[in-house]
Amino acid sequence: MTKERPAAARLSGIRKAFGAVAAVDGADLLVHAGEVHGVLGENGAGKTTLLSILGGSLRPDAGEIRIGNAAVDLRSPRHAWDRGVGMVHQHFTLVPRLTVLENLTLGFRDAARGWRLPLDDVRVRAEELMGRTGLSVPFDSLTENLDVGERQRIEILKALLRNPSILILDEPTAVLMPGEIERLFALVRDLTDRGVAVVLVAHKLDEVLSVSDRVTVMREGRSILTAPVAEVERRALTRAMVGREPEPFSRPPAPSHGKTVAELRGARMLGRHGEWALDDVTLSIQAGEILGVAGVQGNGQRELAMALSGVRTPDGGSAMLPSGVGFITQDRSREGLIPDFDLVENMALALHRRAELRRGLLLDWRGIRDRTAAAVTRYQVRTPGASTAARALSGGNQQRLVVAREVAEATDLLVAENPTRGLDVAAAAFVHEELKRLVRGDGDTGMAAVVLISTDLDEVLALSHRIVVLVRGRILAVPEQARTKEGLGSLMLSVDHATA
Amino acid sequence: MRLPEQTHAGLVAAAALAVTAVLAGVSLKLGGFDPFQAGAAMVRGSLGGRSALLSVTLVRSVPLILTGLAVALAFRAGVWNIGAEGQLYAGAVAAVWVGLEGGGLPAPILIVAVLLAAGVGGAAWALVPALMRFRMGVGEVITTILMNFVAIYLAAWLVHGPLQESRGVFPQTEQIVGAARLPPLVEGARLHWGFVLAVVLAVVLWAFVRWTVPGFRIRAVGASPEAARIAGRINPDKVALRAFLVSGALAGLAGGVEVAGVTFALYEGLSPGWGYTAIAVALLAGLNPLGVLFTGFLFGALQGGAGAMQREAGIPSAWVGAVEALAILSVLAVDQIRRRRIPILRAGTVVTQEQADD
Repeated sequence: MTKERPAAARLSGIRKAFGAVAAVDGADLLVHAGEVHGVLGENGAGKTTLLSILGGSLRPDAGEIRIGNAAVDLRSPRHAWDRGVGMVHQHFTLVPRLTVLENLTLGFRDAARGWRLPLDDVRVRAEELMGRTGLSVPFDSLTENLDVGERQRIEILKALLRNPSILILDEPTAVLMPGEIERLFALVRDLTDRGVAVVLVAHKLDEVLSVSDRVTVMREGRSILTAPVAEVERRALTRAMVGREPEPFSRPPAPSHGKTVAELRGARMLGRHGEWALDDVTLSIQAGEILGVAGVQGNGQRELAMALSGVRTPDGGSAMLPSGVGFITQDRSREGLIPDFDLVENMALALHRRAELRRGLLLDWRGIRDRTAAAVTRYQVRTPGASTAARALSGGNQQRLVVAREVAEATDLLVAENPTRGLDVAAAAFVHEELKRLVRGDGDTGMAAVVLISTDLDEVLALSHRIVVLVRGRILAVPEQARTKEGLGSLMLSVDHATA
Repeated sequence: MRLPEQTHAGLVAAAALAVTAVLAGVSLKLGGFDPFQAGAAMVRGSLGGRSALLSVTLVRSVPLILTGLAVALAFRAGVWNIGAEGQLYAGAVAAVWVGLEGGGLPAPILIVAVLLAAGVGGAAWALVPALMRFRMGVGEVITTILMNFVAIYLAAWLVHGPLQESRGVFPQTEQIVGAARLPPLVEGARLHWGFVLAVVLAVVLWAFVRWTVPGFRIRAVGASPEAARIAGRINPDKVALRAFLVSGALAGLAGGVEVAGVTFALYEGLSPGWGYTAIAVALLAGLNPLGVLFTGFLFGALQGGAGAMQREAGIPSAWVGAVEALAILSVLAVDQIRRRRIPILRAGTVVTQEQADD
């Protein structure tokens, strides 16, 4: 495992600042050909920034990049491409209005074909690659109609089409199902057997350890340690990441029978293609419980979240909702926050509805500012100040702000949609604690209910008092004996197989 | 709290103005004129003396400020209202109609009625593209531009036909009754109370956008309709529709104020394209209503000085139109450069942000 391999890429002394904040400051990364190199770190540790520098989409302020044995100045992603570096970004870089095949072809150059679009060549090569890797995508669908899992597969396929010698995968597993993750890792192994270097960032420690040969841990913009997986203890890694050990999952005690806070009766919601994305769903949610909703992405979770949060009224049936509903959306940067607004204004997105923060037509900005400052302190949002634009915050800190805002709204019900996606161990544990605190009802408010809609089965199993599975827009109750990953997995796929 | 954003807008405007001045000077030089002589003539013609300032520049800046506010509000809400010109004409027609009929009402009441009619006329003209966008999904950029032509030629038809003055000679209406006219602000100058109205509206709109609930909703919808809907539980279409109508009303008011304060009648070609210049006014102001006061004044001076420049330096006054277009291009270019994180421009903003936090 640790035999000497040639260096594929070496970053040394990298520094990159955005404004006054250094995202990366003094980071080194050595990646060998033919190895899987895991990069670990909390959100905001600078992982994505460092890898974007290797991927050519950011240029460092200082430091040296060597690919193979040559020092290079990567001026653009294409420039990096030409040197064999491919990157699959955490945030998708696909054009929504193009078909999958067109997206795969984007940026693909074939000198022999001149100005003609090599659609057919790409189709042939992609089909061959699909057969080999098991990544299947619908070539002729419009990309905007696909769910995040499918888009992720397109991104990976797009990167592989160019035969990279270094492949960077930034959080590729966040949106994948367990089976898909295993397939992806098999694929990664297959690539490294061919001598490709794979750099992998994932927020789950176990995943990174299961597939990596060596790992580098980053904290606060610095590389803290690099070691072969076989020679380093798990605890040492966690300590290096967070400076302390994370708390284990603990299932909250079952609630005493609470009153019903929300109820759907025969609710139906139309999906994007005019189908019933939510079909005859009857669901009642009691105060004091965390209701877990599991399911394969795209089986009506989005519509259920919209119905329960009150953002949309059901197209059929009825929804009884309480007044105090908070909603943590999975699409933080598009739906949860306004990146150009500062923290105060982002808090005001919810607070502007509060009667006590209005003086007639005027908003009580002083009151909103005070509450923002309190939330920033209490939820430990790392920010230069409350008048900083939200876009300047790391993903984890943005999520802390959203959680702070929505938990305060959720006096009766909190709808949380993949609330820990893309978060590191510490931030995820923090969000989980907040969910549990809400249903315990300590603090300033009464007992609320939480609906946890998540594709992360570990999370659903660990937190939920009661679990239901969404399959093709319908609700399946989960019996106690099926409360395992395997049990949920087979329920999630049950109707798919029956009706396919 | 808003200091950083305003500092951005100020930096962009200053840089854009510098770029515009250089480009304008170069274009004059290439045309064989002396840029400095031209500049001096322009300043004399627009600011050099009581009459230039009070009868020309400030008078011209009134419709520019009002339409500039209209465009700024719409753009803030994410509504690309390019139709201020047409809404201005609709407002002017409505104002003239009320001002001619008069009905023997006393001055203050009639003036209010005339201005209200102008606002309603402008809003009604904006209602058509607004409904097309929010009910049928038709992009307002195209529809508002097309509605401009409809309004301009409708006004032309009115002054050649049904509303033409009684002798039937000139393409204009009869003059509105005295009680419908905005009184002069300064004795012996053409500046009228419409200027005060424009300044007050700019301040009110600034406070509205900054501090009120509907103003905040407009900013949220303009910045991100998705986040406004999901995190803010705001109905983005409703908010944008209302902003669109208020924008139309402001542009209509510009037409009404021009009729009631300056021309006292509807003419063919009443506006030399104020509704289009308003886009430059609003963008250069960073869509900030207080900024619109300054940029509106600036473009008023530019247009006011054009005549003097033509007389004294022989430069065709149409050149001013080209300068206005250069200003728009400069704003867009400078803003893009800032967004792409050119260190010089960004360094300044970081410093001010830290100061704002203290």
